[in-house]
Amino acid sequence: MQPVIEAKGLGIEFYRSRRRQLSLREIVFKGRNTAPRDTFWALKDVSFTVNKGEAVGLVGGNGGGKSTLLKMIAGTLIPDEGSVKVRGGVAPLIELTGGFLSELSGRDNVYLAAGLHGLNNEQIDERYDEIVDFAGPQVRSAMDQSFRHYSSGMKVRLAFGLITTLDQPVVLVDEVLAVGDRSFRERCYERMENMLAGGKTLFLVSHSEGDLKRFADRGLYLKSGRLVGDGPITEVLDQYRAETEGP
Amino acid sequence: MILLPQVRGVVRHRQVLDTLVRRDLRVRYARSAIGYLWTIIDPLAMALIYFVVFSYIFKRGSVGYQPYVLFITIGVLAWQWFSSSVNETSRSLLAEARLVRSTNLPRPLWVVRVVIAKGIEFVLSLPVLAAFALVFILRGETTIHYRIVLVPVAIIMQALLLVGLGLLLAPITVIFSDMPRIVRILLRMGFYATPIIYGAHAAPPVLQKVLLLNPMAGILEMYRGGFFPQELNIPSIVSAGIITVITLISGTIVFKRLEPAVLKEI
Repeated sequence: MQPVIEAKGLGIEFYRSRRRQLSLREIVFKGRNTAPRDTFWALKDVSFTVNKGEAVGLVGGNGGGKSTLLKMIAGTLIPDEGSVKVRGGVAPLIELTGGFLSELSGRDNVYLAAGLHGLNNEQIDERYDEIVDFAGPQVRSAMDQSFRHYSSGMKVRLAFGLITTLDQPVVLVDEVLAVGDRSFRERCYERMENMLAGGKTLFLVSHSEGDLKRFADRGLYLKSGRLVGDGPITEVLDQYRAETEGP
Repeated sequence: MILLPQVRGVVRHRQVLDTLVRRDLRVRYARSAIGYLWTIIDPLAMALIYFVVFSYIFKRGSVGYQPYVLFITIGVLAWQWFSSSVNETSRSLLAEARLVRSTNLPRPLWVVRVVIAKGIEFVLSLPVLAAFALVFILRGETTIHYRIVLVPVAIIMQALLLVGLGLLLAPITVIFSDMPRIVRILLRMGFYATPIIYGAHAAPPVLQKVLLLNPMAGILEMYRGGFFPQELNIPSIVSAGIITVITLISGTIVFKRLEPAVLKEI
């Protein structure tokens, strides 16, 4: 069976300062761009393959490159080196409410965001109730209100319901479970377990050991952009713990 | 051929494009009840101002063909599409940064979508133009020439030109923050460097050659061909076609080249 995700020698280089500070004034008066030119590799030489149905947890400290890796798998960042190949669509639970607009109603937003992720109107009609059911009665009664008046919890619930209903073979989860109340979190967990049982491939970024152990069976440990550990999640977590608590 | 995969990507996502364009139009028209009127009143007011200034103050209605009001209105409406589109496409990746970041759609889509939404506004303003033309036809001041079939050609050519310019400007704007100011100044100059309030024939011979380099000159020539019996400026139209193709190709190349850097910045 072909792997679902295949990363080969992935690398991406960022400017330490934002290059957008490139300004006309400087170019005209100094003849060059004085913005600092130093760069760093947010990821370097990262290679791995993930098979269908695997649940992978990304482990590592802040700035290790976990979110960057997720974005490259989602296709919203383009690597400077190497390549990442994903077979089938991706449901990114990354910037959850990214596709939502505050001017439009909740209902319009569901149609718009699901459309952006490739569903047509009939498919959305079919899944609409499922999405709104997941988001809960509070959201259901507000579907015709402008999205601007939603609480942040309501926004996330609706977005989570939507993205997880897309039915894509690969699901990427980046720390979204930190928001939302306890009952909502439980429903998220339940839904993620259902997705795993349904043969989906899961990629999870979390700082919570509990979450990682609960969902992931394999761990990837990223440390300043390098892949330094790849194995069963418990071993990778032990390695991470040993290195961070070291002398 | 670099254009082909890009075009295929956009065509494959035409439904998303449709959704986005609808959203644009809905957001625009939801904000004010007479949203449609506003998109027409603005260019018509400008046309009126130019008409009054040039016919009654400078008494130089001869810089364009008669009826001069019709001549200006065509120019101003088409220019409105051009300038609003260039303005918005150049900022399109920044304005929709959240959407661009969170979806893996072919990125040229964000440019194409603005051009189409603005283009639909332009097409919706054509009935007003037709009404103007009708008045002048009934008064016997103009006739409809068979060259009116060039109007759809002009619309397609202008759309392609705008997509090319947008692909060129959108990634540059992300990396180079002063770009919107420069674009605004260039557009203001472009208004006078385009035969909108005057006809290319009224320009001195040297400038007529320079105008050949302005693709909007040829495109306006085609819009006006159906209403004004004077001879078509064929070199201008051919040049517009060539420049459009060049812009589209170079825009695609620049966009492709800058795409990785753009995604890191937004």
